[in-house]
Amino acid sequence: MLKKLRKSLIWYVFIAPTFFLYALFVAYPTFETFRLSFFHEVATRQEFIGALHYVRLLSNQVFLAALLNTAFLGIIFLLIIIPLSLVMASLLNNLRVWPNLFKAIYFLPQITSTVAVALVFSFVFQPNWGLVNGLLRQLGVTPLPLWLAEPRYVLTGSRAAVTILAVWVALGYYMLIFQAGLQAVPAELYDAAVVDGAGPLQTWWLITIPSLRPTFIFLLITGTIDAMSRFSDLWTLGGPAGTPARSLQTIVLYMYQTAFESNDFNLASASAVILFVVVLILTMVNFRSFLGREFSSQSGA
Amino acid sequence: MASTSESISSARPAGTLRGLLSSQRNFKRLQQVIIFIIMAIGAIAMIAPFEWMLATSFSRSANVAMPRIPRFWPADPSTFNYKVAITNLPLVRYYLNSLIVTTASTLGYLFFSSLTGYAFAKGRFVGKSVLFIILLTTLMIPFEIRMIPMYLLMRQLHLNDTYAALILPFISGGFGTFLMRQYISAIPDELIDAARIDGASELTIYARIILPLCGPALAALTVLSALWRWNDVLWPLLVISDRSLYTITFGLAIAGRSQGIFTGVALATSAIAILPLMLLYLFLQRYIIKGIMLTGLKG
Repeated sequence: MLKKLRKSLIWYVFIAPTFFLYALFVAYPTFETFRLSFFHEVATRQEFIGALHYVRLLSNQVFLAALLNTAFLGIIFLLIIIPLSLVMASLLNNLRVWPNLFKAIYFLPQITSTVAVALVFSFVFQPNWGLVNGLLRQLGVTPLPLWLAEPRYVLTGSRAAVTILAVWVALGYYMLIFQAGLQAVPAELYDAAVVDGAGPLQTWWLITIPSLRPTFIFLLITGTIDAMSRFSDLWTLGGPAGTPARSLQTIVLYMYQTAFESNDFNLASASAVILFVVVLILTMVNFRSFLGREFSSQSGA
Repeated sequence: MASTSESISSARPAGTLRGLLSSQRNFKRLQQVIIFIIMAIGAIAMIAPFEWMLATSFSRSANVAMPRIPRFWPADPSTFNYKVAITNLPLVRYYLNSLIVTTASTLGYLFFSSLTGYAFAKGRFVGKSVLFIILLTTLMIPFEIRMIPMYLLMRQLHLNDTYAALILPFISGGFGTFLMRQYISAIPDELIDAARIDGASELTIYARIILPLCGPALAALTVLSALWRWNDVLWPLLVISDRSLYTITFGLAIAGRSQGIFTGVALATSAIAILPLMLLYLFLQRYIIKGIMLTGLKG
């Protein structure tokens, strides 16, 4: 018995550092976020106030706007990126000239930091001489769009600009994941379709797309989590308030502003908990509505 | 490209479009040309902002007045903006900080992920599956949700404004452990048993047998960890206020948000932050893409 314990001791030694760091940087902060959200600070002392922060947040226009904005930007982004990257990946999969060169070029924005890319795009979208409006002027477009200076819900406003930015950045990654999925579609399925006399478009619609289900689920879940925690690019472009007119403020930006500019760590923690719950619900909805045995085989995608 | 355009001209005598498409081979070639054109347009859209950034960064007059028609080659080529960028900001220092932080946290991440992964893949001990599931909850708890207490903890430990603050929280993680466990599980037990019979300790087995067999998984984790750490800006924003500890990404973000008026200088600064990574990517492109495909995660 003692020998057995001594033999397994080494394994505990192996996992100990990871669990120490887990306790310090995952378990403790998570519980602490929940705890803080039920307290408020009175003269450097924490005082229990129950769910008051949540009541305050859910009737706070700024917070609700940030929550809606995060969801809006995320949905538009996913509605564009998923079909676009699927089509591009399918095309690239059929290209015989330089497919790897294109793959490498499309992936380029991914290795560049979000901050650097966002900074460059603040100039690309400059209304008077930026790259986009410069080209639009050459095409005779008037009046030229305001892009990042236009906070309203229009097709050429700040939200459109950051969506173009996000799609531009993420396209290569989404294409890569779709290509991995495309290569996993069994060749027999295509052979059978050819035997049945299906054309290329029919095959794509009836064979390829249904076979990509696991990839769709994977991208939908990771894409939703990324979209809900969006921060760096919007912070670079619009600061913690999501300028102009909070049109770019997301939950994490609101959380950052509340904690580090208003110094209200408790209220910020409550908004973190709400973010956590929203992410959890969305993940579960994505999971539930698409859950199939495929998911277990998806981990390698 | 030369051969494809040639095929179109040689098919032209067939006359009508229908004639052109009549033969299966011509149809395939036309299809290839169309796909190539679409992909090329996309590729231009990917490269154009970077090219425009470079062109503007080499133009001294860009600080005063930008051309109304975008230029992809500077009218007045000059390295002035780069000189200003380098004197304005301690960019070499920022790079050094990024290198220190990225290297240290990535080495730690590789070591602890593989060590813990080995224990969960091949070890026998009480509570193994429960402990593993607990560790996996990390994947469900986004960093943003934990960041406020993490910041307060760092402040309490007086670690704010140290390298340790940028490194310690990231030297181990649920994802790395999970990936390594999956990978090591596939290594045959016979290899390990043989070594055990020869009297090798578990640490020796880990270092001599397991690690050398984990090349692809370790490479993938290196790519991910390096991209995460190099590009992170939210965590440095919380724990670093001392300018001499800025990483290049964070330093660029702070500079960009405050000195955006001088377009040429700002874009030269961006170029200095972006270009070395792009060069590295040129050489390591295959491994980076493989790593992302293996794990499904992005930077």
